Amino acid sequence: MEYFISLFILASINIILATSFNLILGYGGLLSVAQPIFFALGAYCSALIAIYFEIPIFLSIILASLVAGIFAFGVSLPSLRVSGDYLVVSTLGFQLGTLHIINNIEITGAAGGLSNIPPLISHPYRSLLTLFIVVCFAVLSIWMVRKIMRSAYGRAITALRNDETAFSSLGRNPIRIKVLIVALSAAMAGFAGGMYSHYYLYITPEQFGIFATATLLTMVVIGGAGTVLGPAFGAIIITTLPEIITFLNLPVSIMAPLQGVIFTGLVLIFIFLKPSGLIGSTRGLDGLEIWKK
Amino acid sequence: MVNFKKLSVFSVFILIFGLFIPKIVHAEETLKFGMADPLTGPAAIFGKDQAQAVTWAVEDINAAGGVRGRKLEAIILDHQAKPEVGINAINRLVEVEKVPVFITAFSNVVKAVAPIANRTETLMFSVGANAPVIKELGDYVYTTFPLADVDMNKLPTYLIQKHGKKRAAVLFVNHETGIDGAKVFSEAFKRDGGDVVLFESYEQERSDFTGLVLKVKAAKPDIVHIHSVIRDFTAIVSQMRQLGLDVQVTSYQTAFNPKMIEELGEGAEGIIVTALAPSVEDNDNLQGYLDRWQAEENREPIGLPYTQYFHDAPYIIAELFGKLIDEGKEINGTNLRQALLEIKTFDLPLTNAVTFSDDHTVDKPVYYWQVKNGKFTLIGKSD
Repeated sequence: MEYFISLFILASINIILATSFNLILGYGGLLSVAQPIFFALGAYCSALIAIYFEIPIFLSIILASLVAGIFAFGVSLPSLRVSGDYLVVSTLGFQLGTLHIINNIEITGAAGGLSNIPPLISHPYRSLLTLFIVVCFAVLSIWMVRKIMRSAYGRAITALRNDETAFSSLGRNPIRIKVLIVALSAAMAGFAGGMYSHYYLYITPEQFGIFATATLLTMVVIGGAGTVLGPAFGAIIITTLPEIITFLNLPVSIMAPLQGVIFTGLVLIFIFLKPSGLIGSTRGLDGLEIWKK
Repeated sequence: MVNFKKLSVFSVFILIFGLFIPKIVHAEETLKFGMADPLTGPAAIFGKDQAQAVTWAVEDINAAGGVRGRKLEAIILDHQAKPEVGINAINRLVEVEKVPVFITAFSNVVKAVAPIANRTETLMFSVGANAPVIKELGDYVYTTFPLADVDMNKLPTYLIQKHGKKRAAVLFVNHETGIDGAKVFSEAFKRDGGDVVLFESYEQERSDFTGLVLKVKAAKPDIVHIHSVIRDFTAIVSQMRQLGLDVQVTSYQTAFNPKMIEELGEGAEGIIVTALAPSVEDNDNLQGYLDRWQAEENREPIGLPYTQYFHDAPYIIAELFGKLIDEGKEINGTNLRQALLEIKTFDLPLTNAVTFSDDHTVDKPVYYWQVKNGKFTLIGKSD
C-alpha cells in the first residue's frame, strides 16, 4: 500500500508543479524553462530552514515557498522585458547557474545531495497523512488557478498572452502582470518542492536539471496547456506511466527503448493529433494551439 | 473528441489496476529478495551485467537445492541510477513484493532509499556504491562492497612506493563518488609524501576536456588520477593522448572495463586501475565464471569486480534466510539483520571471505591492474 501512496504523493506534488507551470506557460504564454529550479529552491530552502532553525516543518515549507517567489520576482524583472527565444535563454541560464551553485556549496550537500531532512509528519500513518495533505494542496492549487483565470485579472493575463501590443496600448503594464504570475507560479513550485523534500527526505541537484524541465513540459502538453485540469491529468499520467510499464515485466532489451518511445511518442501524438491536450477543448485557444498564433 | 478524452483516462486506470492487482494477490512460497539497479539509461552498461550475475547466482543456488529446500527468487527492478526512480523501485519491492531484504547500488540512490530501509526495517545491502558516507546511513543499511576509503587510501602508497610517483594531478567529476574518491586519494597521496599539483573538478555532462587537459600539462605531474564515470574517463584520456600528454593515468574500479580499452586502443596502454575483488589467481571459481560469460554472452562482463560482488550477494542472503529457517524464526528484516550480526563472516564464491565490521562496512585487499598489450594484467595486491 505504501508504494501506491508514495506514487500518488509524487503525482499530487507533480500536479501542483504542473499547475504552477501552466500558469505561466499555458495562460501567460511565457516559455520559461526554469520552473524546476523554483521547485529546487523550495525543496532546498525548506530542508535547510528545518535542519538549521528547527522551526515547524510546515512553516519552513511556507517560508521556502516565499523564497522561491521572491527569487522569481527578482529574476523575472529584467528577463521579462524580453520574451520568446530570449526568455528561454535567460531562464535556461538561471537554471544552470543556480544548479551549479547548489552543486558546489557545502551547505546544500553539494553534488552528494542533502540528506537527514526532517519529515513533515512523524507518525505510523505518515504516508497516508502526507497524501491527504498533498492532495488537498493539489486541489487548492487547481482551484486557485481556476479562480484567478475566471477573474478580471485572469482575463487581463489572457489578453496579454493573445496580443501584448494591443494590451499595452490600453494603458496596462504587461511587465507587472508577467512578473506577478511568474512569482506566484514560482511560489507554488517552491511549495511543491518543500513537500517533496520533507516526504522523500533526500534531494540532489541532478533531480532539477533540464530533464526535469522536459518532463514538466510533457505533463503540461499532454494534459493541455491553458486548461485548468489538463496539467493535473498530465502529471498523473507521466508520474504513473513509468511505474505501470515496469509491471509489464518486459525484458530489459524491450523496456529500455519502450520507455523512450512512449514519452517521445506521447508528445508527438499530442502535438500533431491533439495539440489542445487531453483535456483541451476543440474550440478556442487551449494547449499548443496558443503557440500557433 | 469527448470519446478520446474518456478513452484515454479510462485506459490509464485500467492499466494501473489491471496490472497491479494480479501481482498483489499472486503469492509464492519462494524466498524473495529485491534488487534495484540501473537497467536503462547511461548507467545500464553496468547494471545489466550486475543483474545477470545475480540471476546466475540465484539459478546456481536453486540448482543446488535452494535454501533448505525452498527456492530463492530475485525481484529485479530498474532505478536508472536516479534517486527518485530508486525510491519508487524500493517502495515497490518493500510494499508490493514484500521483500525483507534488498540489494542496490549507486551512491545517490543508496542515500535516497536508506530512509525507506530504516523506516520499514528492511535489510539493505549496498553492493558497489562506494561513498564513505554510506556507513552512516542507519541501522538497516550495510555494504558488501569496500567503500572508497579502502582502495583510494592504498593506491597512493602503492604508486609512491612501487612506481616512484611523486607529483599527482587529480581530476574528478563533481558528484558524490568523484568528490569523495578524489579527496581520499589526495589526502593519502600527501600523507605518503607525494605532492598534489592539481586538484580539479568538472561538471557532469561535459564532453570537451581540452581546458582541463591543458591545465594538467602545465602542472607537469608524473601521474594523473581520474575519479569519474567511465564515459568521462575515456574522453579525458583520449583528449590527453590527442594533445600529446603521455603521462601515467590511474583510476578506480569503474575503469576496470574492457570497453574502455576497446575505445582508447593504444591510448589505454599503461593505465593502472584498482579492483576490490579477487583475481583468478586468488579465487578458484573466477575462471569458471569468466568462461560462463564467454560461453553465454561471448564477452567479459562490464565492470568485472562489481559483478563479482553482485554475484555473491544472493549467497549472503541465502545464508541469512537459512539461519532463520533453521532457528524457526520469522523471516523479516529485523531477524535477517540480527542473523547478519551473528554470522558476520561469509565465505563467498567469487569474493572470498567477507566480514562485516561494526561500522556496517567490509574491508578487502586491493588489486592493482594495468593495461598491457590491450588487456588488464594483474600487477600487484595490497596487504
